[in-house]
Amino acid sequence: MSAPNSEGMGTTFIVYGAILAIAVVQVLVAMSMGPSLGRMLILAAIQAYLAVMFFMHLRDEKPTLRLALIPGTIFVLVMMNMIWADSFRLALLRSFAK
Amino acid sequence: MSEATLDRASHGAEVMEASPFAIPSSKLVMWLFIISDACTFGAMLFAYGYIRNSAADWPLVFESASIWNALLMTFILVTSSLTVLLAVRDAANENRAGAFKWAMITAGLGVVFTILHLREWMSLIGEGVRPFQNPWGAPMFGASFFAVTGLHMAHVAGGVVALVVVGLGFKAGRYAFRHIEIWALYWHFVDLVWMFVVPLIYLLNMKR
Amino acid sequence: MPEQAVHVHQAPTGFIRKYVFSLDHKIIGLQYYALAFVAVFTGMVLSWLMRIHLVWPNAPIPGLGLLSKTGAPGGIVTPEYYLQLMTMHGTLMVFFVLTNAPFAAFGNYFLPIQIGAEDMAFPRFNMMSFWTTFIAFCVLVSAFFVGDGPPLSGWTAYAPLSAVGGDPGPGQAVGQTLWGLSIFIFCIASLLGSLNFIATTLDLRTKGMTLSRMPIVSWAWFITSCIALLAFAVLLPACLLLILDRVAGTSFFVPSGLNISDHMQPHQGGSPLLWQHLFWFFGHPEVYIAILPAIGIVSHILICNMRKDMLSHKVLVYCMMAIGFLSYMVWGHHMFLSGMNPFSALVFSFPTLVITIPATIMTLIWLGSLYGSNLRINSASLFCLGFISMFVSGGVSGFFLAQPSIDIYLHATYFVVGHFHMVMGVAAIMGVFAGTYFWFPKMTGRMMNETLGKWHFFLTFIGTYAIFMPFHYLGLAGNVRRYSAFTDDYLVPLVPVHKFITFAALFTGAAQLIFIFNLFYSRFKGAPAPANPWECTSLEWSTPSSPPPFDNFGGKHPVVYHDPYQYGVKSSTGDYLMQTSPEQAGQTP
Repeated sequence: MSAPNSEGMGTTFIVYGAILAIAVVQVLVAMSMGPSLGRMLILAAIQAYLAVMFFMHLRDEKPTLRLALIPGTIFVLVMMNMIWADSFRLALLRSFAK
Repeated sequence: MSEATLDRASHGAEVMEASPFAIPSSKLVMWLFIISDACTFGAMLFAYGYIRNSAADWPLVFESASIWNALLMTFILVTSSLTVLLAVRDAANENRAGAFKWAMITAGLGVVFTILHLREWMSLIGEGVRPFQNPWGAPMFGASFFAVTGLHMAHVAGGVVALVVVGLGFKAGRYAFRHIEIWALYWHFVDLVWMFVVPLIYLLNMKR
Repeated sequence: MPEQAVHVHQAPTGFIRKYVFSLDHKIIGLQYYALAFVAVFTGMVLSWLMRIHLVWPNAPIPGLGLLSKTGAPGGIVTPEYYLQLMTMHGTLMVFFVLTNAPFAAFGNYFLPIQIGAEDMAFPRFNMMSFWTTFIAFCVLVSAFFVGDGPPLSGWTAYAPLSAVGGDPGPGQAVGQTLWGLSIFIFCIASLLGSLNFIATTLDLRTKGMTLSRMPIVSWAWFITSCIALLAFAVLLPACLLLILDRVAGTSFFVPSGLNISDHMQPHQGGSPLLWQHLFWFFGHPEVYIAILPAIGIVSHILICNMRKDMLSHKVLVYCMMAIGFLSYMVWGHHMFLSGMNPFSALVFSFPTLVITIPATIMTLIWLGSLYGSNLRINSASLFCLGFISMFVSGGVSGFFLAQPSIDIYLHATYFVVGHFHMVMGVAAIMGVFAGTYFWFPKMTGRMMNETLGKWHFFLTFIGTYAIFMPFHYLGLAGNVRRYSAFTDDYLVPLVPVHKFITFAALFTGAAQLIFIFNLFYSRFKGAPAPANPWECTSLEWSTPSSPPPFDNFGGKHPVVYHDPYQYGVKSSTGDYLMQTSPEQAGQTP
């Protein structure tokens, strides 16, 4: 990795501010509009994208590294979503709830 | 048998095929560890979501004080991500004292984060939250909260130890730039996990 | 990358550094092999005990009473102890044999050599990963000697019985906790191992060894480590939550209002299905972690013995990648009858059937390449044929199990047991046998005895079919698995079949003594091996000695000029060209 120059750090400060701003926006949105899962996750995903690309410098790596790391992880996490069908079903079928 | 060989000692790097990603192996391993750990945290959060979905009376407990506390913790952790980047910058410029200073500041922010988090735990425990019960509703609330945030806190604590060790070692010349760099990567990842823990654990469970 | 290229380390001299806490990938590979060896024979003895108990329920087994006074009073196995033996058999075999032997043992030994590296990328990690595995093994085996023995919940440790403490039966108190701990540690060890494998494959290839020139078995180890990296990462938190349920009073996997052994369980609010989801999310990729290295080993050995390349070995590699990819999409086919949403069952069924496409392509490539080839018959190639036979026979029953409607009938019967023992258990073990016969000259410098090897093959091949084919018929007849005895009902007519299976199991197990004898006899008294006894082209046969020197290539760096499988060509060495030979291949003779 090349040594980050002052311009690079400038970008970093902007990203730092943006991530914090999104965090505040997230809380404000949750308080005013209600914390819907979709809204929360979209904002968190933007934060995560900024952190991965700029803080972790994935943007400066070769594209092959991005291809090797990101799609596989997202694929595994997406596949896990298959469990939701059962979680809701359990709530509807509960026979011995308090 | 005619076989071409190159003398290992005299040739060094050019006897190898180039790494496809052009990064040091240790950094590749840290990246791989990070995606593996992302799946670990993913599974934790999915388990939490599953339990939460299947509970009829999931408690929505976090008052705005807790939310602001979480936001303060976000601020501390994101700031520590910035300071660890400053440590990386100084390390890249061979400024060993500067890198050490920023690594220690980062570790210090990690400690502050952990203390704030433990305070949050203690106040919840004081209100009667246990892994198996709580005063408000679905008994699994405490278990999910403590399991997810506990795993995250363990990662923060591990990162603090690693930063101190690597920072001291780098200052003494035992460790190289890449050690600072890979532990900075790890530290950013801990930060990244927190970005999902806050909305999913805190904001979704805030009092409305 | 420079950091690895310059770390030329010295060969250690002391016994401890050389053979115990060794950094040498070859020693670590042998350590893994030895661990798997101990585990596989422990597991086999456990299966003998189970088989004997099934057909002679009241016969005392001498000495067993000493192992567990409560589980086998007077040497007679209780129903609970039968389940405890079964749990340990499954756990040992799946984790410590099928994951360790084809992947960690052979992979550690031969992956660095095949790509021309002098060691793994991180030798210290490598040592840690073996010793962490060893600790996991010790923790698991210690369950035999604590309290009332090992757990009885099966290698899948289904909740809630695995998550509520001692009430469900003996071994569920301390034993189950040790099980969770052991698997938790094993996950960490696997993570370390797979990180190392991936970094080694990508970063330590010698000059000319491009990714497309890697032998097929190196590809198999690489793909397997990619699968293991993300699969064990999901089992890790699952074990963590299971341990929390057991020691911290949480109830992730225990539903409300559960009454076990007349005890109202205090747990509330969890879901047993969650454990099954997390476990099988790991569990299905695990199946491919066991079988892919065996596929690679078998293809590698077959190509060498056919003296020609597969009909595109690259397609084989793509098929392995496709299987690795699909392995994350199908875990629900283990749960069709778990009470899972029937809609999900349909969704899981489809990719499960899709997996048969790459599997079938691979089989067709093997068979199509074998057709008309002049196969050299030796123990290694015979075991490869045995592997293909088992893979097909076991795989075909997968078609049935993959369909929810048929699985309703076959679920949890001996049909399932027969299926996975053939396609995952025996097939992978056949791959390990093939690898052992093939690589033994390189690992020890001596040849294994071929006559004994062929006897071993034929007895094992016939024996395993005799054991596991009848399992399918038992399953079709409705024989439920995990029953420790057959009471006076519809199962009684099946007892003669069980007797036959038990005899076959004892016979096949005894046949393995030939292998053990061969292994130790050949190690010390075998004929000295030439440098390249099989006239194979890949890099492990170009090391200056057998076993290879400490840095594999004697301070030299091999340079690779060819694709891995240059057979059936005209060259100065005969009908093949080593990967390291700068010669150009002549016309096909």
